[in-house]
Amino acid sequence: MMDLMFALSPFFVMGVGALALMLAEAFSRNKGGLALGTTAAFVASGVFAAAVWAQGVEPTVAASLAPWVLVDRFALFFQMLLCLGGALASLLAGGYLPEHHLDRGEFYSLLLFSTFGAMMLVAAGDLLTLFLGLETMSIGAYAMTAFRRASPRSAEAGLKYFLLGAFAAAVMLYGFALLYGVTGSTELGKIGDAIKAGASSNPLVIIALALILVGLAFKISAVPFHMWTPDAYEGAPTPGTTYMAVVVKSAAFAMMVRVLMTMFGDPQSTSWSSGWPPVLAWVALITMTVANLIAGRQDSVKRMLAYSSIAHAGYLLLGVVASVRAGAEANAAVMFYLLTYTVSTAGAFGALILCGSRGAEAVSYEDLAGIGRRHPAAALPFALFALSLAGIPPTAGFFGKYFLFKAAMGGGFYVLAIVAFLNSVLGAYYYLRVLVFMYMREPAAGAPIAKPMRSGYVGTALIISALLVLALGVLPGASLDVASAAAATFAPAK
Amino acid sequence: MATRDVTPSPAQPAWVIPALSTLGVLAALFAGLHLFGRAEGGFALSRAIGWAVPLLVAAAVGAFVPTQGGLKTRLPIAVMAALAVLMITALWVSDSAEIPDELPKEPKTLLSWLIGLPIAGAIAILFLPRQAPRVLQWTTLGTMLATLAASTALLRIPMGREFHFNQDFVWLESLGIRYHVALDGLSLWLVLLTTLTVPIATYASFGSIQSRMKDWCFSLLLLEGAMIGAFVSLDLFLFYVFWELMLVPMYVMIGIWGGTNRIKAAIKFFLYTMFGSVLMLGAILYLAYTYSKLTGSMSFDYFDLQRVLVPRNVQIWLFAAFTLSFVIKVPMFPVHTWLPDAHTEAPTAGSVILAAVMLKLGTYGYMRFCLGLFPESSGEFAANLAGVAVLGGIVYGALCAWKQDDVKRLVAYSSVAHLGYVMLGVFAATQSSMEGAVLQMINHGISTGALFLLVGVIYDRRHTRMLDQFGGLAKVMPVYAALFVVATLASVGLPLTNGFAGEFMVITGTAVSSRLGHFAGIQAVGAAIGVILGALYMLGVVQKMFFGPITKDENRHLDDMTRREVLALTPFVILIFVIGLFPNLLLNPMAGAVTRIRTDFEARIQSSPGPRYYTGPIKMLPRRPEAPAAPVPAPAKNAEVGGGS
Repeated sequence: MMDLMFALSPFFVMGVGALALMLAEAFSRNKGGLALGTTAAFVASGVFAAAVWAQGVEPTVAASLAPWVLVDRFALFFQMLLCLGGALASLLAGGYLPEHHLDRGEFYSLLLFSTFGAMMLVAAGDLLTLFLGLETMSIGAYAMTAFRRASPRSAEAGLKYFLLGAFAAAVMLYGFALLYGVTGSTELGKIGDAIKAGASSNPLVIIALALILVGLAFKISAVPFHMWTPDAYEGAPTPGTTYMAVVVKSAAFAMMVRVLMTMFGDPQSTSWSSGWPPVLAWVALITMTVANLIAGRQDSVKRMLAYSSIAHAGYLLLGVVASVRAGAEANAAVMFYLLTYTVSTAGAFGALILCGSRGAEAVSYEDLAGIGRRHPAAALPFALFALSLAGIPPTAGFFGKYFLFKAAMGGGFYVLAIVAFLNSVLGAYYYLRVLVFMYMREPAAGAPIAKPMRSGYVGTALIISALLVLALGVLPGASLDVASAAAATFAPAK
Repeated sequence: MATRDVTPSPAQPAWVIPALSTLGVLAALFAGLHLFGRAEGGFALSRAIGWAVPLLVAAAVGAFVPTQGGLKTRLPIAVMAALAVLMITALWVSDSAEIPDELPKEPKTLLSWLIGLPIAGAIAILFLPRQAPRVLQWTTLGTMLATLAASTALLRIPMGREFHFNQDFVWLESLGIRYHVALDGLSLWLVLLTTLTVPIATYASFGSIQSRMKDWCFSLLLLEGAMIGAFVSLDLFLFYVFWELMLVPMYVMIGIWGGTNRIKAAIKFFLYTMFGSVLMLGAILYLAYTYSKLTGSMSFDYFDLQRVLVPRNVQIWLFAAFTLSFVIKVPMFPVHTWLPDAHTEAPTAGSVILAAVMLKLGTYGYMRFCLGLFPESSGEFAANLAGVAVLGGIVYGALCAWKQDDVKRLVAYSSVAHLGYVMLGVFAATQSSMEGAVLQMINHGISTGALFLLVGVIYDRRHTRMLDQFGGLAKVMPVYAALFVVATLASVGLPLTNGFAGEFMVITGTAVSSRLGHFAGIQAVGAAIGVILGALYMLGVVQKMFFGPITKDENRHLDDMTRREVLALTPFVILIFVIGLFPNLLLNPMAGAVTRIRTDFEARIQSSPGPRYYTGPIKMLPRRPEAPAAPVPAPAKNAEVGGGS
C-alpha cells in the first residue's frame, strides 16, 4: 500500500495541494499567500517525482497501475518538467494578477488542476486515461485564457481556443474509437502489438492515424493547425500564456511521442501506418518556416512569442521525426529541448510582465523602447532569454537546438537539418528585434510608455530561469543524461 | 631607427631642424652604445649598459617627440618607445642563435587566463555602479592591460612548429566535447594583436563615448575574451561557441552607439555572419558524426577530425560550408556587402576592433580549418578562389574605395582589398606567400586600426566624414595630418612601413605558386595592380583632406589631436615602423607554424592526387608522426625585405 502511495505521490501531492488551496481561498480574505502555496505544491510534487525516479518502484506496483497510469522514467521526467513550468507560471501569476486587479484565487486552482491533468496525460498508457488527462488539462487552459473577464479579447480568445480545442479533441477521439474498433483494446501497448502483428494494413488504422495526427498537431500548434495560437496567447493573461506555451506544449509533445512510439513505432515496417514520419517531416518544415516568417512581421511582442512557440514546435517535430532512425537519442534531444524551451519561454514572458504595469502593459515592441536604459533589471534577463530562444551560445537554447539538429543529422535527415539551421537564422532576426527596441531605440515622443512594475514573485521566477538558462548553456551534461535515461523507456535493448 | 620622426609637419618648420639634429646625435649615441654592448658581452656591466642604454635613448627620443604637452603626454610615449626597443631586442634572433639547454617551462593555464580575465572582468562590470563611469573605465582598462601583460608571456617560448600552452580537458563527457586550447606561431600574433588593439580602441573610445558606459565596458570585455578564445580553440565545438559569442557584443556595440542607420547595419552584420556559421555548425556536426562512426566515440578535436578522410563528393560540401562561413567574415566578394555598412555605422572603437581583429578570424579560420581539415578540396578550388580574391577583393575593393565620398566607407572598402591579399597569399600556399599573408593580417590590423582611429578623430570634431567637407587641414591640424600620412603610407605599402613587407611577400609568393597553375603570374600581376590602385585612392584622400586651400570656414578653427588621441595612436605608429624595418621579428616565430600547415597540406594532397582524388569509403588516416619539437632555425630567404636592418 505504501508502495502504491509512493508511486502515485506526485499526483497525490498535487491533488491535495489543489484542494487545500481551494479551501484556503474560500475561507481567507488574504490572497497574498496563494501564489506561494501553489508554487510550493508544484515544487513538492516535482520533488516527489524526483524521489520516485531515484528510488524506483516495485515492479508489482507498477504492474498493478498499468496501463492506466504508467510509472516509467519518461512519465517522471515530464512530471518534473511540468512542475517546473507550473511553478514558474504560478510565480508569474503571483506578481501579475494583483498588479492587474485580477487577483481571484481560481487561477491558482485552475493552474494546479490543469497540471494534474497534464501529469496524468504524460503517464497514461491507455487511451481512456489519456483522453481524460488531455481534457482535464485543456479545460483548465480554456478557463485561464478567458480569465480577464473585463476584456473582450480575452473572452474571444477563450472561446476560440475552446471551440477549436473541443473540435480537435473530438477528431482525435474519433481516431481512438476507430483504433478500438480495429484492435479491440484501448491499451496503447496492445494496440501497438496488434498493429505490428498485421492490423497495419487495415485502412481504418490509417484513417485513425490521420485523425490522431490532426489532434496532436492542433495541441502542439503546428502549421496548419496553429490559427488559434496567436489569438489565444495574446488574449490570455500573461501567466496563462506562459502556462499554455510551456506546460500544455510539453505535455502535448509527451503525448505525441508516447502515442507514436508505442502504437506506431515500428519504423521497419513499410506499411502505411508507419507512414507518419514523412508527414510530420513536411509539417515540421512548413511549421518552422511559416511561423518564423510571420513572427518577423509582428508588432506585438506577445504575438511574436506566440509565433515563436509555433516555430519551436516545428524544431521539436524535427526531433520526433528523427527518432525514427536516431531512436532514443532523438527523443532525449526533444526532451532536453523542451526543458530549455520551458525556462527560456517562461523567462521571456516573465520579463515581458516585468516591463509593464497596470494600465500600461508592455505588449508591442514600441512599449519596450528604451527599457534597457530605464529598467535594466528587466531588460537584461529579457535579452538573455531572447538570445537563448534564438540559440546563441552559451545559453540553454543553443544546446537545445544543437542536440536536436545533431539528432536529425545522426538520423541522416540532412535536408531537414539544413532547413532548420537556416530557420534559426530567420528566428534570430525577430529575437534580435527585442534587443534592438530595448537597447537601441528610444520611445517616440508622446507614445504611451509602459511603466515597469516591481514584484518579488516575478523577480524570483526570472532569477531561477536565468540561472537555469546559463547553467544549461554551460554544463548541459547532467540534464541531458537524465533526458537520455528517460528516453530509454522507448528503446528496447538493441 | 631615427626614421620614426622624419615625417615633416609642414605647418611648423621651426622645430624640425633642431629636433632632427638632436635625433641624429641620439641615434649615433645609441648605435655606438648598442655595438659596444654587443661586443663586450662578457662583462656584466657592459651587458647591462648594452641592455639599458637603448631603452633609455628610445625613451628620451619618445619624450622629446611631442612638440607640446606636459609630462602626462611625454611620459607614456617615452615608455611606449622604450617598450618597442625592448620588443626588438627581446625578439631579435642573432646569427649565433643559441638554443637554451632547457626550454622555459610553459604555464599550462596561461591561455585560459587570457580568455578568462576579460570575461571575469565583464562579469565584474555587471556589479559595479552605473553612476560611476570613472570606476567602470578604469576597471575595464585595467583588466585589458593585465591581459596584455599576461599575453606577452607567450613570447617567451620559442614557437617552432608545434602547439604550445596546450590545455585539454573534458567539458561534456558524453558528447566528446573538450575544452582544448593551444597556441602556435599563427595564433600567437593574432592573440597579441587582439590584446594590444582592444585596449587601444577602448582607451580612445572613452573620449567620444559618454553614454551608457556600463553596457559599453561590458561589451568590450566580453568581446575581447571571445575573440581570444576563438583564436586559441582547437576543439571545433569550442571554436564555434566563441565564434558565435563574439557576435552579440559587436552587434550591441554597433546597434547602440552607431550612426543613423545603425540598427539596419547591426542586424545585417549579425544575420550575414550567422547564416554562414550555422552551415559551418552543420558541417562540424557531420564531421564529428563521421568520426564517431569510424571510432565509436564522438570527438570535435581538431587533430582527431583532421584524420577523417571523406570522399570528394562529400568533402566539397563540407569545405563549402566552412569556406562560406569564413569568407563572409573576411569578407570576400560577393558576400562582403555587410562590411561597409557595419564599418560606416559602428562607433570608432567598434570599427577598429572589427577591422583589426574580427575580420582576421575569417582568414585565420580558413588557414587553420579549411586547409587543415579539407586539404584536397582547398587545393582543388584554390585557383578559382584566388581569382575571386584578386578580382573581387583586391581590384574590385580598390575600385569601390576609389569612388567613395565617405572617408570611413573608403577605409572599409580598402579593408576588402587588403584582405584580398591575405586570402590570395593563403590560396597560393607557398611559404613566402603564407608568411606574408599572416604578416599582412597583423599589418592590416595595425594600419587600418590607425586609420579608423584617425577618421574617428575628425568625425568627433566635424560630425561628418564627407571628403568634400575637408581641405587644407594640414594647416590647422599639423599633428593630425602627419599621423594620417604615416598611416596612409603604411596602408599603401611604402617600403620601410609594415605594409610593404607583407604585400611584397604575398605577391612574390603568388608569382611562383604551383597551386595556382597557369594563372599564378596573372594573379600576381593583378595583385600588383591593386597596390597601384591602393596608392591612388589613399593618396587621393590625403591630397583632398590635408593639402590645398582651406575651403570651408568650419575647418579654420579645429583643435589638433588631444592627448588621449595621440596616446592611442602612438603604439600603432611605432609598430608601423618597427614591423616595416624588422619584419623578421614577426616572421621568425610564425615560420614554423606556417611550414607545418603547408607541409601537412601538401602531404595530404600528394597522397591522393588527381582531380577525382578520393571516391572510396570514409576512412581514418593514421596519426601524424611526431615532428621534432626543436625550434626551426629562421629561414634566411626573407632577408631582402628585412633589408632595413
